[in-house]
Amino acid sequence: MAASAALADVKVLDLMWAIAGPAATRVLADYGATVVRIESTTRTDICRTVAPFHELPAEPESAVLFQNANAGKHMMTLDLGNTAGREVFLDLVRWADVVCEAYTAGTMRALGIGYEALRAVNPSLVMLSTCLMGQTGPLATYAGFGNLAASMTGFGNLCGWPDRAPAGPFGAYTDYVAPRFSVAALLAALDHRRRTGEGQHIDVAQAEASIHFLGPAMLDYTVNGRVQTPNGNTDPEYAPHGVYAASGEERWLAIAVHDDTGFAALARVMGQAALAEDPRFATADARRAHRHALDERVGAWVATQDAPAAETALQAAGIAAALCASSADLVADPQLAHREHVQMVEHPTYGTTPIEGSRFRLSRTPAAAHASAPTLGRDNQYVLETILGYDEERVTELVVAGALG
Amino acid sequence: MLSPYRVLDLTNERGLLCGQMLADLGADVIQVEPPGGSRARRIGPFVDDAPHPDRSLHWWAHCRNKRSVTLDLDRDAGRELLHRLILGADFLIESETPGVQEKRGLGYADVAALNPRIVYVSITPFGQTGPKARWADSDLVLMAASGPLLLTGDEDRPPVRVGVPQAYAHASAEAAGAALIAHHERVRSGHGQHVDVSAQQAVALATQSYILASAVGFPDARRASGGVRLGPLSVRFVYPASDGHVSITFLFGPSVGPFTGRLMRWIHEEGGCDEATRDKDYVRLFEQMLSGEESFGETDRLKDVIAAFTRTKSKAELLAAALARDLLIAPVATTREVVESTQLAARGYWQDLAHPELGRSVRYPGPFARLGATPIGYRRRPPTVGEHNGAILGDELGLTAPELQRLAAEGVV
Repeated sequence: MAASAALADVKVLDLMWAIAGPAATRVLADYGATVVRIESTTRTDICRTVAPFHELPAEPESAVLFQNANAGKHMMTLDLGNTAGREVFLDLVRWADVVCEAYTAGTMRALGIGYEALRAVNPSLVMLSTCLMGQTGPLATYAGFGNLAASMTGFGNLCGWPDRAPAGPFGAYTDYVAPRFSVAALLAALDHRRRTGEGQHIDVAQAEASIHFLGPAMLDYTVNGRVQTPNGNTDPEYAPHGVYAASGEERWLAIAVHDDTGFAALARVMGQAALAEDPRFATADARRAHRHALDERVGAWVATQDAPAAETALQAAGIAAALCASSADLVADPQLAHREHVQMVEHPTYGTTPIEGSRFRLSRTPAAAHASAPTLGRDNQYVLETILGYDEERVTELVVAGALG
Repeated sequence: MLSPYRVLDLTNERGLLCGQMLADLGADVIQVEPPGGSRARRIGPFVDDAPHPDRSLHWWAHCRNKRSVTLDLDRDAGRELLHRLILGADFLIESETPGVQEKRGLGYADVAALNPRIVYVSITPFGQTGPKARWADSDLVLMAASGPLLLTGDEDRPPVRVGVPQAYAHASAEAAGAALIAHHERVRSGHGQHVDVSAQQAVALATQSYILASAVGFPDARRASGGVRLGPLSVRFVYPASDGHVSITFLFGPSVGPFTGRLMRWIHEEGGCDEATRDKDYVRLFEQMLSGEESFGETDRLKDVIAAFTRTKSKAELLAAALARDLLIAPVATTREVVESTQLAARGYWQDLAHPELGRSVRYPGPFARLGATPIGYRRRPPTVGEHNGAILGDELGLTAPELQRLAAEGVV
């Protein structure tokens, strides 16, 4: 199948770690790129220590996040500070079309393997460096996770309630935004190289990429001088627009109604068709002006409802509504099942582990089926012997020299 | 960089960012709008709060570097002109509910019959097929249906979304990479294909793999004020500063614990906690709680210690300390603070584009990536409605001025 995979001819040397970096190269692996990931045995990937886990206390191979971000890759251990290890690394650079790294800015250069050094051994190399704030500037070496970049770029302050401290989005938010920009930039650079022979260095700052997910709010400031603030679930156009408690513990229903037809349909499903005639709610302007009274009415109805049943009834009437899905809901979701989103794949310790499938489908060259992320150093021999063509003696020397540490 | 390629961008308000990313990377992106302009142009905020199709900041944020033509695709004359553009196009992006383009004769099969090399990208709420493929959607509803919403907000209030819609940003940005993967394959095979992007799946990435928790029997994360509740452990990230809030990655374990330890040493230096608090084993604290050596309630006390300390410092002081002392602290920035960021200024991030028709220049978020050899250029401000009808339908397709006038009078362009 490798012959027909979309990226079957792309070779990636992957020094990414944490979430944003590996999530980008996972997409390349999904579509058939050969991805060789280098990990240090002394400073293993932080995602090996982040929940959810197969078991507690966690072992290095029990982190689901790590499995999910690294399925489909070859996993190699290498000590970049070791002279012999450095030689192996440079051979891999010669082999690769793309080198990706997600260390703190300046780390690669300090190790003597910055872009200029790598270009000297592979002149048409495409190299991508991604970190929170970019490779230059006063905060270049500011290290951390996407929760911090989300705070620094405005997501934190645009999520929450007007009368409370900001809630901020869940988790390391910009770690989920930036990979998309990295993938697009990398593929465009590969296309440029194919046409011109020219490689290049790409600097993706999570912060700078992610600000494009807040474009209208940024322009509202640069154009209108308005600083947007958290406004709960209020929407400038939709009303009702909210998340309402349904019957049962932690069952919530999101409902968004845009126009009069939608509101009339909602009122009918609620068994209160007359609401659509109430002058407070009859037009979109009126509904926005009376959104609190409206929220009370809708909330009182949802409170009596079983959330999945109400979701079905509202969708049948053409109303945008969805249960706030938990992990259990999502794993059982028939739509996600249809899209093969949650895949149980082989795992050496746990038998199987769940990973997410590709978020898009290509009609002619679909994503590859994977096993779990390889265990630490599993593919050392494959990479050294099959990819680099080293003989057994050379591999033994490397082991003795501690290069694979 | 992508300058040899043409993209026909038929997306409505759902999918605009995909075409803009390709346009930023150099592609010739033609936004095909209905006569009178895209629905996206009716989405605010607006310049000076004056609603107008050419003053929508939602539009501006997603259509830089594109050109615009208007065509009524529900009429034969409009579709015929689009067919002629399809013959010379490399990509087509659309974001209608599944079935809508097929009814118009503009589904993938129809378009591929005209141009088998085309990469046809569909951005939809739930994907092209499946039991929810035709479900009604909105940003809030997709954030709910994909998982992140339940995890976000204060524990005593309903789940809450990011105030700027995110769902289609995830889907559209995903689509840009997907389109270029299909393009890469086309260069080898000579064939296009259909790229089918699901917003629900794209947004699920933002659960940080918590979507998979129940598949391994791990408890769901629960939303908590300015943080998250993981089983018995309640973690808080948002803390008060003297002039707003900061985010602190207050966690334990081998990777983050050392940062927490350094923070507690700083607090101790300034008299904010006792030695015993300073000297806790922040690498192993979670294990100690699991074994009963420490109580889970101890985190609440620690959070209060940290909050009492950060309250006395400004956001700038806390950021400076983060740099000097290697701590995981970031200011919770307002959009003004983001625009005024010294880091972004030092990198020349913000880009000004002239809007001569409004007699002003507008400052835009800058390049999403720095490409050393082929930097992203800000070549054009977002187009006004049908601004390039003359250049594309006239000069390129050869329609005469009277023909264009007739089509305009008939409402086709």
